[in-house]
Amino acid sequence: MSTRKYMGIFNKEEAFEKAVQYFSDSHVAIEEIYAPIPVHKAVKNVAGSSGLPVLAYFLGIFSLLAILSFLYYTAAVDWPLNIGGKPSDSFPSFIVVTIVLTILLVTVFSLLAFSVSARLYPGKKAVIMHNRAMDDKFIIVLNSDKVSQAENKLRQLGADEVILYDPKHE
Amino acid sequence: MDDRSIRGDLIAGNKTLKDVTNDIMRPIESAAPKWWFIAMVISILALLWGIYAMYLTVRYGIGMWNLNNSVGWGWDIINFVWWIGIGHAGTAFSIFLLVLRQKWRTSINRAAEAMTVFAVICAGLFPTLHMGRVWNAFFMLPYPNTRGPLWVNYNSPLFWDFTAISSYLIISASFWYLGMLPDFGTIRDRTTSKIKKAIYGFFSMGWTGSSQHWQRFEAMSFILSGLAAVLVVSVHSIVSTDFASSVIPGWHTTLFPPYFVVGAIFSGFAMVMTLMILIRVLYKLHDYITDSHLQATAKILTFVSLIMGTSYLTEIFIAWYSGNEYEIFTFFHNRITGNFAPQFWIMFTCNAIIPQLFWIKKVRNNLAMLFLISIIINIGMWFERFNIIVTSLANDYLPSSWAEYSPSLVEVGVFVGTIGMFAVGILLFFRYIPMMAISELKTVLHTDDNTVEKETGQKTAEI
Repeated sequence: MSTRKYMGIFNKEEAFEKAVQYFSDSHVAIEEIYAPIPVHKAVKNVAGSSGLPVLAYFLGIFSLLAILSFLYYTAAVDWPLNIGGKPSDSFPSFIVVTIVLTILLVTVFSLLAFSVSARLYPGKKAVIMHNRAMDDKFIIVLNSDKVSQAENKLRQLGADEVILYDPKHE
Repeated sequence: MDDRSIRGDLIAGNKTLKDVTNDIMRPIESAAPKWWFIAMVISILALLWGIYAMYLTVRYGIGMWNLNNSVGWGWDIINFVWWIGIGHAGTAFSIFLLVLRQKWRTSINRAAEAMTVFAVICAGLFPTLHMGRVWNAFFMLPYPNTRGPLWVNYNSPLFWDFTAISSYLIISASFWYLGMLPDFGTIRDRTTSKIKKAIYGFFSMGWTGSSQHWQRFEAMSFILSGLAAVLVVSVHSIVSTDFASSVIPGWHTTLFPPYFVVGAIFSGFAMVMTLMILIRVLYKLHDYITDSHLQATAKILTFVSLIMGTSYLTEIFIAWYSGNEYEIFTFFHNRITGNFAPQFWIMFTCNAIIPQLFWIKKVRNNLAMLFLISIIINIGMWFERFNIIVTSLANDYLPSSWAEYSPSLVEVGVFVGTIGMFAVGILLFFRYIPMMAISELKTVLHTDDNTVEKETGQKTAEI
């Protein structure tokens, strides 16, 4: 299997966005896109939408229950203390700690989920496609095997430069 | 999304994407200016005094402070509340404005978040030191222990405070760091220095700007902002319950939570204004921090100042209306007139009256005035905490337990030390981290070039 890839480099966000839209409309498989800013439509066309918010929601429910159970267990079951004759399971005053710690747990677990799903972790070596991909260039990568006339199409859609590259030789 | 007729260009000077990268990277790529080194030396000296004062506090105990039986909370708690207040604006700025889709936040949010992180670290020092035996600070954590097991008291606002502030620090630092990932990627790709490439490469966590990264990044930003928005309100409400749930005159009031939250946002926005003006002038970034940005912040400050004034008057009114003689004494004979009148009137003038000058356009357009008033507000907010804490404690129910209080040099030292620490943090931030979120700035650039769009449209049709 060949891994020859075409990299279409765009100077303008608008042209880039339209090109991604075109490929997506005509069901052409885009390998990946790179941009210095989140181009929402393009990102959505290529990567779809993220499941992280839904995950965070369920993490929230889980954390809420976990923390309430923890507070109940420690304050009322394991070692009840008599604090001014108040009931050990003094629920209303647990609310504050519950909210704050739920937020903390959801944050920590969502960040872990983010790290896993985006495959970003400290020290990871980046595969840099183009030196200016995080500066001012918008890039579409097409696999020449899967897309016929990839170079022509990229040029026609307004790519300012098209580079053929073979990742094996890098 | 944003209407240019209202706020004008968010970034002036017809910048291109490349220009934005170059402008924001300049302070990191060029040698540090002379003033930076001078400021750094002064800040480190202040920090050293602080470290010495903290050493004395830990070595000999909090007897080194001038606290007494009546005034058990003094500069430590004043400074704690003051720093926490300042620490609010970063999140308020980034998150409320992100949720409200206010795009003018992009020039300011990074610096505001940096300020939050450093201010919260400074704030956290004070209650920790006030514990006396700092090495036992972990007793605050609810963990199975050999002392009982004796769990912590979840009904106590002091414990709420501990959870709230530690969570707030973790979450605001995460939010700050997450926003920096793309910019670290930018630095890594641009720099020619191998050391810088390795360091920024490590911290950029392999960021490439691919659709996979951007999609998760955006989702995560919204999750974090949604979560932290709750914290902005809850943290300072919780700090206020430290006071409101006690029975000290002047503290036992339901007004406290909103009053504290608004006060925090007020002082934080003022500090953001101070920093914005410094960045604009020192790094000549007036294309990014435009008059319009400063105007918008000044308008928010004017409005919040009105709420502050209303809160002060409400407190006074309720004290009179309740008919409670202790409350009346605290407000009318202790604060408005009496021993602590100077501090009360400094607070009232700085927070409720002087910011009203922003109604005048000439004042809003004058950089020096904006800078001066932003500093005045923070002085006023410090005095507000002094008012709340010291006046109520010094003269409570029993005249026999009334006490005088003035800080010792060690207390002053700890405060100066935290200012030094904050300044060192901010100076390092200026030097090593992009002061504005480069990738976010690029999203608010107005490209007037519609021709490209038309051409591409035609080409798309042709294929």
